[in-house]
Amino acid sequence: MAARDEMTAAAAAPRIVLDNVSISYATPRGRLPVVDRVSLAVDRAEFVVLVGPSGCGKSTILRAIAGLNATESGVISVDGKTVDGPPEHIGFMFQRDTLLPWLTVRGNIEVGLELAGVASKERAARVAALLALLRLSEFHDAYPAQLSGGMRHRVSLGRMLAYQPAVMLMDEPFGALDFQTKAVMGRELLRIWEAERRSILFVTHDIEEAVALADRVLVFSPRPARIIAEHRIDLPRPRNLRTLRASPEFTAYTSAIWQALGDGDPT
Amino acid sequence: MSSPCVICREVTEPMTDPTVSDEVIPPGGSGNERATASGNSISIWLWRLGLIVGLLLVWEFSAGNLFNEFWSSRPSLIGARLLALFASGEIWRHLDATVSEALLGLLLGALVGTPIGIALAKYRRAAEIVDPFVMGLYGLPRVALAPMFILWFGISLLAKVMMSFSMVVFVFILNVTEGIRTVDPDMVDLMRTMRAPKSYILRKVTIPSIVPWLIASARIGIGLSLVGAVVGELIGGNRGLGWYVLRAGGQLDTTGVFTGLLVLMLVAMIANQIVFLIERKVLHWRPATK
Repeated sequence: MAARDEMTAAAAAPRIVLDNVSISYATPRGRLPVVDRVSLAVDRAEFVVLVGPSGCGKSTILRAIAGLNATESGVISVDGKTVDGPPEHIGFMFQRDTLLPWLTVRGNIEVGLELAGVASKERAARVAALLALLRLSEFHDAYPAQLSGGMRHRVSLGRMLAYQPAVMLMDEPFGALDFQTKAVMGRELLRIWEAERRSILFVTHDIEEAVALADRVLVFSPRPARIIAEHRIDLPRPRNLRTLRASPEFTAYTSAIWQALGDGDPT
Repeated sequence: MSSPCVICREVTEPMTDPTVSDEVIPPGGSGNERATASGNSISIWLWRLGLIVGLLLVWEFSAGNLFNEFWSSRPSLIGARLLALFASGEIWRHLDATVSEALLGLLLGALVGTPIGIALAKYRRAAEIVDPFVMGLYGLPRVALAPMFILWFGISLLAKVMMSFSMVVFVFILNVTEGIRTVDPDMVDLMRTMRAPKSYILRKVTIPSIVPWLIASARIGIGLSLVGAVVGELIGGNRGLGWYVLRAGGQLDTTGVFTGLLVLMLVAMIANQIVFLIERKVLHWRPATK
């Protein structure tokens, strides 16, 4: 019984916790504060989007959770463990696709499987399943240079999913894509996430994208980053992005976030 | 000069910076040339053929008419000598010597230079400390070391291999150091978020990133390794293409000198073609080589 209570407690505990985290960078003219006393928590199946002006420090927060950047003060924990170097079961996606150009689509996805410790016998079937999920089956032997930007991002997403992360940290993952491809990628991400929910922390400066995807949107100030507003997006799921954008609720959320950002140009 | 330390220079500087070394060539440059060459390759080859035939004809008919053929020999005599060397089988003795010396020197240069290049790129502080010494050795005319090489290694194969090695190793060191600095830090970070071991990152990211630089080094290294082998043979030996050229020169046999030089040139051209084929095979993922 005690074990069962523990399990429920663990399931209820947030996946990611930031407690009063500050981060600064060393520059030739002294320390530059980038993140200013940020506290937040992300639940196990929650999709949280961070919005704020470019260069405000959102990416730094993501990198710190992934163990790539050190914090100056405060504590970050993932699954109850304090972050000190990359934690387990973290998937990361950069704005650039960061595929290995010398590996095929299959080879790139296998990187995720290998690092997740999937046995070599099982890899072929897993690659095939992921490529089908991402509608890339015909391209398993193509090199990244032969693919379009949108396809490369899908492979990049595939590599992350292959790693079976419990937490997905996505740093403007579709920021470099054109409007239409971005919408398609958003839809694919939602489809995958709604089928198998994990924690997602997603950085963007596109407010419509934020509202369309998120359970919760955290609005950040210009650098040093502080949370200045929080919006719970109570739009029904599964979401149909096409009809959603026309709904009055959607518009209400976006204008509220615009207002929180001070109506300034968010880019 | 913006940066006094060449090895520890930042990646952001243009790679064509002539203060670095003219033996560091950024990969990819050759790909574009090849694209234009393959675009109208037949016409290029016809031009090449025409050029060489024209030059040979001018040579053939000016020697003996405009000046004494003793000074320059003539293509027909060189061709006959080449055939004779092949017919008697003497050529293989020399080819075998020179090619083995150069090839061993090149391989040794790659095997020693690559890890040193990786280490210099990895340990920046150490690189900064040894930078002036490396550049000093690099700037030293290795030919001047030949007497010492004979003293240390005798007139054996080893002396020529070491001569060749001393010419080539710096090319690999400098190119690999530069190549490692072009490794995409985001790729490495991404691997780190998936808790990839260092050896995995080395195997999947670092080494593939420097392959274009290794191939560029091999291309430059071919010519230099042949220079090393020939210089070694000039100093002491009893066979090899360099030795053949030297002996012919000593006997005022200009035909022999030109025949030796021609064979050396052909060796370099064939070796370059082999590197090109390897490049096409290994770097097939690059759009420029497609």
